[in-house]
Amino acid sequence: MRYLILIVVVLLSGSTISSLSAQSTGLERGNKSPEIKLPTIKGDTVALSSLKGNLVLIDFWATWCAPCVEEQHELSKLYNKYKQSAFTNGKGFEIYGVSLDAKKTNWENFITTNKINWIQVSDLKFWRSPVARTYNIQGLPFNILIDGNGIIVAKNLHGIELEKGIARFLRK
Amino acid sequence: MKTKILIFLFFTVATSVFATNEFSSQEQNDPWTQQQLLAPADLAKVLNNPKSPQPIIFSIGMQAIIKGSIDIGPVMKKENLNILKQKLDKLPKNSNIVVYCGCCPFSRCPNVRPAMALLQNMQFTNYKLLNLPQNVKVDWIDKGYPMSE
Repeated sequence: MRYLILIVVVLLSGSTISSLSAQSTGLERGNKSPEIKLPTIKGDTVALSSLKGNLVLIDFWATWCAPCVEEQHELSKLYNKYKQSAFTNGKGFEIYGVSLDAKKTNWENFITTNKINWIQVSDLKFWRSPVARTYNIQGLPFNILIDGNGIIVAKNLHGIELEKGIARFLRK
Repeated sequence: MKTKILIFLFFTVATSVFATNEFSSQEQNDPWTQQQLLAPADLAKVLNNPKSPQPIIFSIGMQAIIKGSIDIGPVMKKENLNILKQKLDKLPKNSNIVVYCGCCPFSRCPNVRPAMALLQNMQFTNYKLLNLPQNVKVDWIDKGYPMSE
């Protein structure tokens, strides 16, 4: 009988865990974010580490991902609002956009049309991109907030939670 | 008595867990049936065995990641859907066909519905949708299944 209770508990918790925290494995808060070095539209490589000293949002997205595209407009507002702000853990705010697009034209057109003015990089390898493996990305959109030392301070914040997540580090 | 209640509880929970998973991969109005969903493990087994009859696999999404698949491009675009139609026009109606996209979960994927609807309208009789509930990374690449070069 005890075994039955145990099985029920395991089944219940198993299903809850798999549905709620599909993205919980891999990189956790307090860990150092792995380096990313990928090309921009112009072809020059920009390293994530080149933004050291800033509070940085690493935004994983793609033009084929509808919720990601919607979120870009929100990111635009946040970027313009906070890029000059001083933070307790960073001298400014930067976004490092990593696209999982497969076609350069789609990626380039979107960035140009929407006047995206933060760093955008991609190896144009879609889900085969090694960065998707390094960051254990289970689905898009996905993002990671890192402090001036490259330490992960938040994961996968969206909507109002994203702005709160950034604003809580503002220097008062 | 308690044991009976517990057994009942166990089956209720188990059924509800599996039922939830089933429903998540097929909504009511989707142009495919549960039987038309092909498990990635089953396709991988076929691809890894050259002696077994190989299906014609169409990538109807962003990139032809799966070994041997034909790159049509995202069929949410009319021109790509036309390319798929032209390819299908040349095939017998009972051809063994598999389509996949794998960008996103089916609920958000803009490509799986146009492709499956086309196959249905063209009266193909032996076609499947590769069941990638999350995406082609989690449900194919991460499993180590065969990929294109």
